[in-house]
Amino acid sequence: MRIKILLLCLFLLLLTGCLPSNIIDDILMVEAEGYDYLGKGQIMGTATMPNYVESGNPGSQGAGLPSTAAMMRYISGVTYDGKSLVDKFQPEGQRQLKIGKIRVMLFDDKLARHGLSKQLDFRNRDPDTPRDLTLAVVEGSTREMLTAADYQTQIPVSRYIQDLIQQNSQQNYPDSDLAQILYSYYGEYMDAFMPIIQKQGDHLALVGVAAFKKDKYVMKIDGDDVFVFKMLFQPFDQGVYDYEFARGKHIALRNVHTSASFKVRNGNSSSPDIYARVKISAQVRQAFPGSISKKNADHITKLLNRHLEWEARQLVHRFQTYRVDPLGLGNTVRSFTYRFDGHSWPDRYPHARFHCRVNVNIVQTGISQ
Amino acid sequence: MFRNKKRQQQASKNKDPKTIGDVLDHLGKSRDFVHFQHGNTHFSCWISYFRTLIDIDYVHRDVFPFLYSDSIRNMADIKDQLPLEKLIQTKDIHEIQSKLLEGYIIIQKDERSPECLIVPSVKIQGRQIEKSEVETSIIGPKETFVESIDTNINLIRKRIPVPQLTLKEIRVGKLSRTQVGIIYIDGIASEENVNTVLQRIQSLEVASLIDATMLALMITDNNWTIFPQFTDTERPDRVSGAVYEGKIAVLVDGSPNALILPSTIVEFFAAFDDYFLPWNISSAYRLLRLFAVALSALSSSLYVALLTYHYQLLPKDLLGSLISSRSSVPFDPVMEVLILEVMIELLREAGARLPTKVGQTIGIVGGIVIGTATVQAGLSSNILLIIIAMSALAAFITPNYRMATTIRFIRFPFIISAQMFGLLGIGMCFTYFVTHLIRLTSLGRPYIEPIFPFRASDLKDAFIRLPFQLQNSRPMFLRPGDPARMNTTRTSQEKGKKSPDIDE
Repeated sequence: MRIKILLLCLFLLLLTGCLPSNIIDDILMVEAEGYDYLGKGQIMGTATMPNYVESGNPGSQGAGLPSTAAMMRYISGVTYDGKSLVDKFQPEGQRQLKIGKIRVMLFDDKLARHGLSKQLDFRNRDPDTPRDLTLAVVEGSTREMLTAADYQTQIPVSRYIQDLIQQNSQQNYPDSDLAQILYSYYGEYMDAFMPIIQKQGDHLALVGVAAFKKDKYVMKIDGDDVFVFKMLFQPFDQGVYDYEFARGKHIALRNVHTSASFKVRNGNSSSPDIYARVKISAQVRQAFPGSISKKNADHITKLLNRHLEWEARQLVHRFQTYRVDPLGLGNTVRSFTYRFDGHSWPDRYPHARFHCRVNVNIVQTGISQ
Repeated sequence: MFRNKKRQQQASKNKDPKTIGDVLDHLGKSRDFVHFQHGNTHFSCWISYFRTLIDIDYVHRDVFPFLYSDSIRNMADIKDQLPLEKLIQTKDIHEIQSKLLEGYIIIQKDERSPECLIVPSVKIQGRQIEKSEVETSIIGPKETFVESIDTNINLIRKRIPVPQLTLKEIRVGKLSRTQVGIIYIDGIASEENVNTVLQRIQSLEVASLIDATMLALMITDNNWTIFPQFTDTERPDRVSGAVYEGKIAVLVDGSPNALILPSTIVEFFAAFDDYFLPWNISSAYRLLRLFAVALSALSSSLYVALLTYHYQLLPKDLLGSLISSRSSVPFDPVMEVLILEVMIELLREAGARLPTKVGQTIGIVGGIVIGTATVQAGLSSNILLIIIAMSALAAFITPNYRMATTIRFIRFPFIISAQMFGLLGIGMCFTYFVTHLIRLTSLGRPYIEPIFPFRASDLKDAFIRLPFQLQNSRPMFLRPGDPARMNTTRTSQEKGKKSPDIDE
């Protein structure tokens, strides 16, 4: 028995070299992938990977670039839609290309309108896909965005994009991580959405949210409406809403907490009634001088309530005309309805009546005198 | 095989002394053996002793004057008049021989007469009781055991002034006949445990016994394990604390360590200082030690596993510094780790073997020169150097030295299995050690007791130490004869009626 165990250990020791390994300095980690649609099922794929700086004398730090600074390297090539870029570009890599640390996947709006089903299916299937992968739609060329060298910051562009999106998801933009996108893509009675970014000169900017119908990008939610969208989509805080209550007179609120609750009546009728009730606790960040104080807070709040209600109705109305459902209203109706008729829901969705009540509670107006 | 048998037969042929003459002739070959005839007008006798073993001053001052006095006429007179409490008159050759070798004086009527009087005159020479150096403590007692068993017993007995404190004495070693003392409180210590200890020590077949830790290895439950099963300590306060708890202490003559039996694994990570600090602070330190052990055992193998197989798990902000510091290293992560680990082990071993004065330079050479030079030469990465140094530091946090060596050793199987299978290998290695620990026993009692089998009442003094008024029962692990430490109803009684400080 003992000899058998010893032999087993010996074999394990001798066979260790046969296991494929991913020693971190012997692989190329793809950090961003970009897909530009060329038409006729062809795409231009771009992958970037950092080449970490090899400082001449690792013992004496301080001279040269900081160790986080990386020389970005990119590879581009034309291939068919749905091809794994790593496999495509491996002949151009001196080391193994690995997808496990990818941060962002970018699709240009043409490809997004053409459909992302092949890319999403591939990512969903690949066990190497990391958890914190950010997907986004790019207005313009992804290749240009990933390969441009004129950014104001030194950090790698993949990290720049991911930080930009993740930071804004804490504020006005809704959560759109991989899990959320795949959940709403594969889920019933709901649709996926992704943030839209744009290269504006020497920097990047979030310009809105792309609402998908199945795998196709059909409707853009503008940056100004994103607050209203997020307010209906998920409870959140730290968002900022700017309200122009009279011409040239603005008031900006930072919400401390926002929550929405839904109720549904006649869920199986041809025009279901959806009641949304939104509660917002907010503090005044900036206001037109003399426009808000303890006395006339009620007045402004009433205006604000009515305005937000109107905005929300408008937004849902636009969703209904495009027949997209990024809010997952269909799912809400389903959860409120006994023996929900899912089969006819796509036809009934545009006729659903959306009622919204917003209740803003201003908890703090700041020092005004 | 046959040669070995022949050798053993030869060894047994050693002739036993038949008469007292044989003994004296044999011992007379040593230069420090003194054998002379004392005689005056009334009385003459033969005196023999080892002058290196007896206390010469004492003999000249307190023994010989009586022998030379006129009132001594025969052997019986000596026995009556010598003002000593323990004179033995015997014909037993073996006893005579062993007493001579322990430093007693033999008095005979004639040179060859078998009737001997044995006079105690043992010289006790040893160092003074000193401050603890192995298990140091900031506050609390500083005394440590010395190499003489009588002093050590004195150190324990003065802390436990109860008549139930029992001392059993056994001689171990065919040649050395080393004195071994077993100390416990009768009625508190489990009888079963005492019998096990006595039986294990009595049935030992060894030639010599030099130290208590040697004894611990000889009477251990499992000879293959790397985990120490009995606590060894140089602190009499720790021993008496354990004896009060119902444990058994074993002292060996010539050893400055005492053994505490049985022990659980958590005791090796408890410093005696823990009992001198508030319970919440000492609990925090115990948890820190636990964390340090985990860090020490696992950190370098995690480094190997993550860098070799699981690049996905590395934090993205750490990637840059990890890769750029590793980019000039020519080895695989596992070789890099093994080189540094072996280097640290070399330093530690060198530091332990070198004389104290040179030892300090080794610290400087090792820590500063070799450490930075390895990185600058590109033999290892900066980050690994920090990890290895941290894990070496963490290993030394373990209060017990034998456990600390185990913790340092244990990381090598982890590193190798991490190289073989990555995180899965670490998991497998961990599982192996857990099953091994579950099967271990100390004196037949489960080794990882408060955890498996689970004993909630013993957790009061394990990973966290609860306040003393809650520690009202002795550990269930020991199956003590008297489980209650104190009267629980009285400890929970109200102290008195509270009166408000300020009258309103």
